[in-house]
Amino acid sequence: MILEVLSAGLVISACLAIFLDEAVYSVAALSGTFIFTSLLYALSDALFVAVFQFAVGVGTLAVLFLSGEMLSEKPAKKISRKILLLVIVGGALLSLPAIFLSVSGPNSVVSGISFGDALWNLRAVDVVLQGLVIMTIALGIAIVLYEKRNGGK
Amino acid sequence: MMDYVILSLIMLAIGIYGLLTKRHLLKVFVSVELIATAATLNFVMLASSLSKGVGEAFLILAFSTDTAVSAVILALLVIVHKKYGVNDIGELVKMEQGKETREVDA
Repeated sequence: MILEVLSAGLVISACLAIFLDEAVYSVAALSGTFIFTSLLYALSDALFVAVFQFAVGVGTLAVLFLSGEMLSEKPAKKISRKILLLVIVGGALLSLPAIFLSVSGPNSVVSGISFGDALWNLRAVDVVLQGLVIMTIALGIAIVLYEKRNGGK
Repeated sequence: MMDYVILSLIMLAIGIYGLLTKRHLLKVFVSVELIATAATLNFVMLASSLSKGVGEAFLILAFSTDTAVSAVILALLVIVHKKYGVNDIGELVKMEQGKETREVDA
């Protein structure tokens, strides 16, 4: 039951993120989408992915709130209750097919490789390269900031 | 009974709808985020039902790519806003067309 509620919440928050007029409210609704997604992952035994999704979501939202404030010119309008209710009901109706319909697929391709094995035996090159890229970006930002600081003096 | 394939299809449809109809730059970005979330959701749920570890390991790469794409889009939005002072795609297209017309007239 909780998975159904979470998926309905996911669709409703996605609808709110698209249909709300103000950019800041839209970003707030998107935060709901990220939270519901990571809860769905956690309840489906994908804990690592849930933690990753949560961390990435929080970072994205922090930047989005700041740029939302910067990009919206007018002061935030009050949301019309009628439209809000309409979007919520629409989202709930949209989530019904996901709850009641099903698509059958093959269930025989189950492999018992654990996350750690897969990460280090199959994707080791990717992981090392990603770490390298992140370190390079961090170093680049540090150099740019340092040059800017020295240039400003 | 839940089906995550249908759930991710619904999310994808909402994202594409937003991408096609909304004119605000930040809304376009939110739509792209929703499309990325739909793809990730489909991937994770299939991975957790079939082969758990491999799917999750692949997904870390997908998350990095998604974050990089978000950063690039956001940087473009900020540049466009600073350069043209607008946050509506329609206005931006009109400005560009006006600029081209002036160049042709000159």
